Amino acid sequence: MMDQSKKNKITSDLLKPIGITKTFHIWMGFLTLSLAVCLYAYMFQLDKGLVVTGLRDYVSWGMYISNFVFFVATSLIGMLISAVLGLSGVKWASPLARIAEIIALAFAAVAGLVIVSDMGHPERLLNVFMYGRLQSPIVWDVTVVTVYVLISALLLYIPLIPDFKICHEKLVDIPKPLRNIYKLLSLNWKGTEDQEKLLKKSVWILSILIIPVALAIHTVTSWLFASTSRVGWDSTIFGPYFVTGAFVSGTAAVIIAMFFYRNSYKLQDYITELHFDKMGKLLVLVSLVYLYFNLNEFMVPGYKMKKFDATHLHALFAGRYAIMFWLVQIVGLILPILFLLFGKMRKPLPMTVIAVAVLLGAWFKRYIIVVPTMEHPYLPIQNVPMNFKFYTPTLIETFVSLAPFILVLMIITILSKVVPIIPIQETIEHHEESK
Amino acid sequence: MLKSNIKLTILFLLAIFSFSKINAQAWDVPADKKAKNSYIKFDENTAKEGEAIYTKNCVSCHGNPGKANNLKTLNPIPPDLGAAKTQALTDGELFYILNTGRGAMPSFKNTLSEEERWKTISYIRSFNKQYVQVVSKTDPTKSKLVKIKLDVDSLTNKIKVAVIANEIKGVVLLKDAEINMFVSRYFGKLQIGKTLRTDSVGCVLFDFPKNLPGDSIGNLEIVINVNDEIYGEIESINKVKIGVPTNKPSLTEKRAIWNVLKLAPWWIIITYTSILLGVGFILLLIIKNLFKIRKLGED
Amino acid sequence: MCEKEDNSKNKSRREFLQNIGIIGLGSVLAGSAIFAGFNYDRKKTNAQRIKVLTAENELLEIDKNDTTKVARFKAENLTFLQKRGREGIKGKRWVMVVDLSKCRNARKCMSACQNAHHLRPEQHHINVLKMQESKGTPPFYMAKPCQHCDNPPCVAVCPVDATFKRPDGIVLIDNERCIGCRFCIAACPYSARVFNWAEPLNSEEDKDLTYDVELNVPQRKGTISKCLFSADRLREGKMPYCVSACPNGVYYFGDENEDAVTNGTTKETVRFSKLLEDNAGYRLMPELGTEPRVYYLPAKNRTSPYEDKDKPEASEHLDSSHA
Repeated sequence: MMDQSKKNKITSDLLKPIGITKTFHIWMGFLTLSLAVCLYAYMFQLDKGLVVTGLRDYVSWGMYISNFVFFVATSLIGMLISAVLGLSGVKWASPLARIAEIIALAFAAVAGLVIVSDMGHPERLLNVFMYGRLQSPIVWDVTVVTVYVLISALLLYIPLIPDFKICHEKLVDIPKPLRNIYKLLSLNWKGTEDQEKLLKKSVWILSILIIPVALAIHTVTSWLFASTSRVGWDSTIFGPYFVTGAFVSGTAAVIIAMFFYRNSYKLQDYITELHFDKMGKLLVLVSLVYLYFNLNEFMVPGYKMKKFDATHLHALFAGRYAIMFWLVQIVGLILPILFLLFGKMRKPLPMTVIAVAVLLGAWFKRYIIVVPTMEHPYLPIQNVPMNFKFYTPTLIETFVSLAPFILVLMIITILSKVVPIIPIQETIEHHEESK
Repeated sequence: MLKSNIKLTILFLLAIFSFSKINAQAWDVPADKKAKNSYIKFDENTAKEGEAIYTKNCVSCHGNPGKANNLKTLNPIPPDLGAAKTQALTDGELFYILNTGRGAMPSFKNTLSEEERWKTISYIRSFNKQYVQVVSKTDPTKSKLVKIKLDVDSLTNKIKVAVIANEIKGVVLLKDAEINMFVSRYFGKLQIGKTLRTDSVGCVLFDFPKNLPGDSIGNLEIVINVNDEIYGEIESINKVKIGVPTNKPSLTEKRAIWNVLKLAPWWIIITYTSILLGVGFILLLIIKNLFKIRKLGED
Repeated sequence: MCEKEDNSKNKSRREFLQNIGIIGLGSVLAGSAIFAGFNYDRKKTNAQRIKVLTAENELLEIDKNDTTKVARFKAENLTFLQKRGREGIKGKRWVMVVDLSKCRNARKCMSACQNAHHLRPEQHHINVLKMQESKGTPPFYMAKPCQHCDNPPCVAVCPVDATFKRPDGIVLIDNERCIGCRFCIAACPYSARVFNWAEPLNSEEDKDLTYDVELNVPQRKGTISKCLFSADRLREGKMPYCVSACPNGVYYFGDENEDAVTNGTTKETVRFSKLLEDNAGYRLMPELGTEPRVYYLPAKNRTSPYEDKDKPEASEHLDSSHA
């Protein structure tokens, strides 16, 4: 049995971030203000129509859809860390599971809003439910993203039940209604063997269920593109190509989150250098797999250079998108792999810098997947103004695209202020076991 | 006086000019068509009506007659119709050219009525002071007397058309009358075979195609058009069961990925529904577990 | 142990809970999506149906409720027009034949179409393209309307049944239903669809018109528009706007079931199968399996030569077709 003082220290350390600080106020104030600016841009778009974006008849999907793919992609990490690593008994990952779940939930929930910002008639969203055609990948996407949000929420909540009990018990000086909410959410948790068993079983079932669902959300998202016969999208490996890419951006997002939580919440004892080291290795692994899929995706058509493929690939390799393409591939993928092979680079700070590069690369990669293809249809683009032929995002569009990021930050910030982001109960158990 | 002299000079120059250019291949008009004449007497009124038709259909390429403002970039060059070369053609020849068209010039047989076509020629002729019209012997009032009979041989798919006129003095067999056979289609008349002329007993035999789609039981609406020098133009419409019965299904009948939800492929309906039900069931199970946990913790 | 609570903290916790609530509601809605869809269709088929003769001598089967509405209220006309638009013209399978050898780039088709459908100058339901299949092959003009595919990729991906294929082969767009996701634009390999990015051209003048799905007028901001084979004209026995406007006899239009097409300029009616057979008719990008209802006759023996200045620019080296 571990001594009580150690247990108390863990509990108090991990409960400390909960509560409002001045920094929180400033930070949330800043986010709210930014969000207001972005919402104003969106109101402008609602009023004038999508003409305020750089989108036109040929490139009719642009930044919003790239953003959507990026959000869905990043949300996949919840599945990888809490389910795949959890089920395979990887012990070091368990303190990170909640961070991963929070990121998953935030990104997946906001992804739905991103797609609404791209709609010409957002007020008709309910048509999808009223007249939904099961043959449309959009209907599959709506269904599967909703299911994923639901499962992610459950997978975040259920392991939190014992911690809610601790919150209710230890956070004595918070307002009564709040304590009551904690009590309600703790579901009369006593930690009895039966309760323990039910909880473990539920988490186990959800961890298994979330694997196919997570694979499905990104595979279906890739099918929004692969179900058309356009060059660059008409690919049979689009599903796995997207899924592997998703792990890259998700892992990078978790690394960045780890760094910020560790420093601002003083969690150096709980998110240790070991965790960074392991996450660094994980990032190398998923990046290598993604690199392999990239090789397939570009090498195979690039070798043959069929008429329409050639036009498209030329724009990527040496044309209009060359700089972005090679930056994404080299700075966003190849260099991070090489750097992270060295142990010194897998320390918190250098690795966070690398993760930022990877995450940025991941966003621009989505842009490269979506936009250039639309600039290269089978039939020539003629008798339209110049801005129909090439897509350039507008300022308004950029602001509207920033809104989901702000929302994600808000959700993550709020969640980390109401729940302990490192599982308390689990950490205590781990310490007991290791004794 | 001076003005008309200039006009003549231009006409003359134009005539030379048109010869100096690569000469368009001459029209090859059959003798009987060449001799055809208008049953309408050309006068100022018909020319005026013809001008309206000309402005709408001809001026964009041929220009205004005598003004030499025709569109010379085309090949063959559409001639100025006031020029001597055009005016040298017979009315029948002009009528034939108007009917058939060539190259960039469309046929006006189906877009202008015979009357309109003659009035257009009347307008063109108004630029020729030397022109003297020969009016055809046609008496349009007599067209009411004409009867057209169809005799269908469904075995050989041949249709015999007999044309007679019930004159007071007795039945007249229309010899050497022009007969056209058409089948009514949604936007116009489809000609069957070529234009034929009736034999000495006023009959003509058409070979009818074996594979022409009719309605659901094979009925076709057959239009017989008779053009006789004396009796004028007569048309009769007949319903004949000589087509292929056609009952093509609607194009949206089958289950398909692009069809409405009700006609979605079974595999999509089954896969989607079963996955959704399966996931829903598991989630309900989890919710039930949560309630159990809560119950277990009650004091 | 914990810092002092204040109102904003209270608020943030409440927000979180609200969030969870919304997410939960959304999921329930998604779960019932399929159910709602089925119910909607069932409701439609079960309604009491009667036959009515329209002013155009069309025998239609419509809901009993609709007849009274049609007779009484202009506003309710919409229901009638929508129903009629989805049912199409019975027994027909519309086809178009474009004779490229006759095209002289007059573009009368484009302007007639834009006038009829109240389109902006850059919006093309039909577009005359300068084509060159590959370097060294001769360039030509190609009018390109919607191909009205029998296996339409655009209709397949529509999430709300806003774009649909009718029994007579026409692919229409219902801008009362369209959510503006533009998946159909992405799916169409012929770039045949346009979007109303801004307020449509005549939105002020058209605002009192009842929406006719067969004309797609009034156009609506935030929805798709596309070639409709002039479904409204076909009902009157007239050929499409573009077909009738062509001065050069490029277009033939007709009913495949009658095996006849009529030239829009000369009004000459010919057998559809024979026209294709005699002129080596073909369809665009047959390898995609879209089964277009628009056929092309090759650009041979052209009546007006394609001038060098009209050749696609070097920068448009992707200008080419699958022909």
